[in-house]
Amino acid sequence: MTARTWALLVMLLGVAVVVGLAGGSVPLSPLDVWRALTGNGAGDTASAIVQGLRLPRVVLGAVVGAGLAASGTALQATLRNPLAEPYLLGVSGGAAVGAVLAVVVGVSMPSLVPLAAFAGAALAVLLVLVVARASGAYADPRVLLMAGVVVGAFCNAAIMVALATAPEESVRGALWWMMGSVGDAQWSTVRSVSGYVVAGIALLAWWGRDIDVLALGEDAAASLGLDVERVTRRIYLTASLLAAATVAGAGLIGFVGLIVPAIARALGARTTRETVAASALAGAALVVGADLVARTVVRPAELPLGAVTAIIGVPFFLWRLRGAAR
Amino acid sequence: MVGCAGAGSVSSRRIVAAAGVVAALLGCGAPARDAGTATIAPFITVDDFGDTLRLAAPATRVVSLNPNTTELVFALGYGDRLVGRTSWDLYPAAARAVPSVGDGMQPNVEAVLGQRPELVLLYASASNRAAVQQLRAAGVATLTLRTDHVADLARIAPVIAAALGDSTRGALATDTVVAVLDSLRNLPRAIEPRRVFWHIWDAPLMTIGRGSYLSELIDIAGAENVFDDIAAPSPQVSLEEVARRDPYAILAGPNSAATIRAHPGWQAVRAVREGRVFVVDTTLVGRPGVRMGEAARHLRALILGDSAR
Amino acid sequence: MIRIDDLVLRYRAAAEPAVRGVSLEAPEGRITAIVGPNGSGKSTIVRALLGRLAPEAGRITLDGVDFTTLGRRAVASRVAVVPQREEPVFPLAVRDFIALGRYPHAGAFSGRTAADRDAVAAAIHRADVGAFADRRTDELSGGEWQRVRIARALAQGGRALVLDEPTTFLDVAHEMSVFELLDSLARSGQCVLLVSHQLNLVARFADHIVLLHHGVIAAAGTPAEVMRGNILERVYEWPLVVARDPAVGAPFLVPLRGRGTR
Repeated sequence: MTARTWALLVMLLGVAVVVGLAGGSVPLSPLDVWRALTGNGAGDTASAIVQGLRLPRVVLGAVVGAGLAASGTALQATLRNPLAEPYLLGVSGGAAVGAVLAVVVGVSMPSLVPLAAFAGAALAVLLVLVVARASGAYADPRVLLMAGVVVGAFCNAAIMVALATAPEESVRGALWWMMGSVGDAQWSTVRSVSGYVVAGIALLAWWGRDIDVLALGEDAAASLGLDVERVTRRIYLTASLLAAATVAGAGLIGFVGLIVPAIARALGARTTRETVAASALAGAALVVGADLVARTVVRPAELPLGAVTAIIGVPFFLWRLRGAAR
Repeated sequence: MVGCAGAGSVSSRRIVAAAGVVAALLGCGAPARDAGTATIAPFITVDDFGDTLRLAAPATRVVSLNPNTTELVFALGYGDRLVGRTSWDLYPAAARAVPSVGDGMQPNVEAVLGQRPELVLLYASASNRAAVQQLRAAGVATLTLRTDHVADLARIAPVIAAALGDSTRGALATDTVVAVLDSLRNLPRAIEPRRVFWHIWDAPLMTIGRGSYLSELIDIAGAENVFDDIAAPSPQVSLEEVARRDPYAILAGPNSAATIRAHPGWQAVRAVREGRVFVVDTTLVGRPGVRMGEAARHLRALILGDSAR
Repeated sequence: MIRIDDLVLRYRAAAEPAVRGVSLEAPEGRITAIVGPNGSGKSTIVRALLGRLAPEAGRITLDGVDFTTLGRRAVASRVAVVPQREEPVFPLAVRDFIALGRYPHAGAFSGRTAADRDAVAAAIHRADVGAFADRRTDELSGGEWQRVRIARALAQGGRALVLDEPTTFLDVAHEMSVFELLDSLARSGQCVLLVSHQLNLVARFADHIVLLHHGVIAAAGTPAEVMRGNILERVYEWPLVVARDPAVGAPFLVPLRGRGTR
């Protein structure tokens, strides 16, 4: 990827952040935003909006976008499947079960739901490994994906049972969580999610060369001296837990892990390290932009973030399918 | 019982015959009456679903699937006739002694039938249509009523009272409420009434639109709902929009009020920064029922800071 | 050189071992070929050489050192296995693809050392892929792709090269060019161990042939010794004759029409 493309990506993220901080129900100019951030008397309401409402949203959105995109990159290469994404492997189902149970049981919303979501996701990810192992070849991508489908179906059933037996208001809250939002961003959540995401991306970049080799194919990777089973499992766990951290912080935001790696490759990224970095930048910009759309198009209401990313993702996906069929 | 045949002389026969006719008119064939009531059965009316309710006699076993009607039945003095309520119906306190038959929306028809009711009161929401059909197919009379607006109370009270035996009780129960509300409406209004935001729910953030009786109550109390431009009863809004509309005060339940004061994001709203998060008595304002007068007074005191007469 | 002693290989939960006591030697400077019908155990031996199937009994040694005592990367830097099929899910530049062959020698973040660059350049030269070294892997023809894979194997730096069915799906010209490449590599000192269906080409190019049948060796020796009608007919269970091709002086196989189709 050329230096120019990298510069463009960085600039794109920068623009997205500025527009994300400036735009919303109360339109501000970038100058107002600057004043609000540096505390130079932009007015109490503007300051409070920028610092208390928009800044945590934008930061969380960027972090979540970067994490999901990086996770998708690693999983697509490791599973040798351009349609792979973290949600296919139990992350979304498990997190939703954890979060829905937490909401239905009625725990105080802000603090415990992310923890429950992460715990649910982690359990589901491990369950996928266990199911895959029980069927023999658990580094085989197809087996992993099938196990992911099975665990996901089980989680969906559990969610349906929980929602059917829950009081009405809980159902509303649970569904809202599942549709994804960075709107309830509190700095404590943002900090922990950021920690996980940065660590996860760093690990995936560190193992970039292993992933490059793994992407060649099981036999080719083995012939180059890679421990296929161990490395597959390691990457799978890291990428999945990275995605789980983003789900814990922001609910289910689909398609990012699927389409952003394709965008990065279309821009010229080749090695895993390049693709992880480019995906992280592009994913961050995408989610920040999608969040701005989510909170401005149907004012005064707010669209769920997961819906906006899906609306962007589906046409992109169809366009890629057309290209692939040629 | 006087017999219908007489004997004796012509004049005495005439008297006896006349007495017999009078007795017959009194004793045989006149419609039965309940001692001391002013209603004539059968009671026929069309409810808010368009179904016809036909009661040959006042219902003595009633299931109420709506907290509003449960409270109203007690207020009408017919609490002893209730044989079932929903799990949400907790007012008045005497209602808790009535057995619960589950949820009021998409109710458990089997549980309702298990109480062998003669009449079931339902809330007029589309999700209850199936239950109404099932109950009617089982031969149980249903009365489905809208209880969304302030005016609904005075409208439905006489109907329910009539179904249970005495329609005059309806007005008795609701006259004071209507009077209080009217008196509040007639109080002098400020040129610029105070604007308030009513917090209903977090994640998603929900408030009341003008389709909700709470919005009407705010209006009656002399204030203005900052989102009354939205027609829906409980729309979803964004926090930034609340900040933009800059209400004078926030109304919320006790737990939500604490959360709002503590949440850094809410500091974007001036009312929160200046300490005007008021706690509403959710037991009072929770239903458009017989306590609406008190509810409106409570809101007025809370928002305008003076007690109203 | 690669040496296999009394190797027994069994797939998990299989009733019978796939390879039952096979011994062979593949010295440097020669092409050794393992041939046999489907299911005779040829690919299983390749799996063992890839480290993906542990021997139940017997040993595989590399210049006298037991495979199992070496780490994976150590093995990979001595023996390069070119698997039967390979299709990268995402296209790479050919040069980068060949450079991945240096993986066994590299640390996680070590850049391309001079030794790496030299090895890649040498591999490109020996495999004769310089003409398309600047293209992408999804732009290559079947024959070019195969040579590029051999180049990557050569970049691993080992002296032994194992190939599993290297000429399937290739047309005549490409088949010949791959075999000629293998021949030149062997002449330059490489140990070449080859698994193949292509009996006729194997007969022309291999120095030593091992014929497997149901996991045991049915015959081993020079092409003239192994390519005999009676042996091959018994092993392949199909009527055939072996003739001598006057143009190239190597035995070649002519399958006859089947018994049931008269």
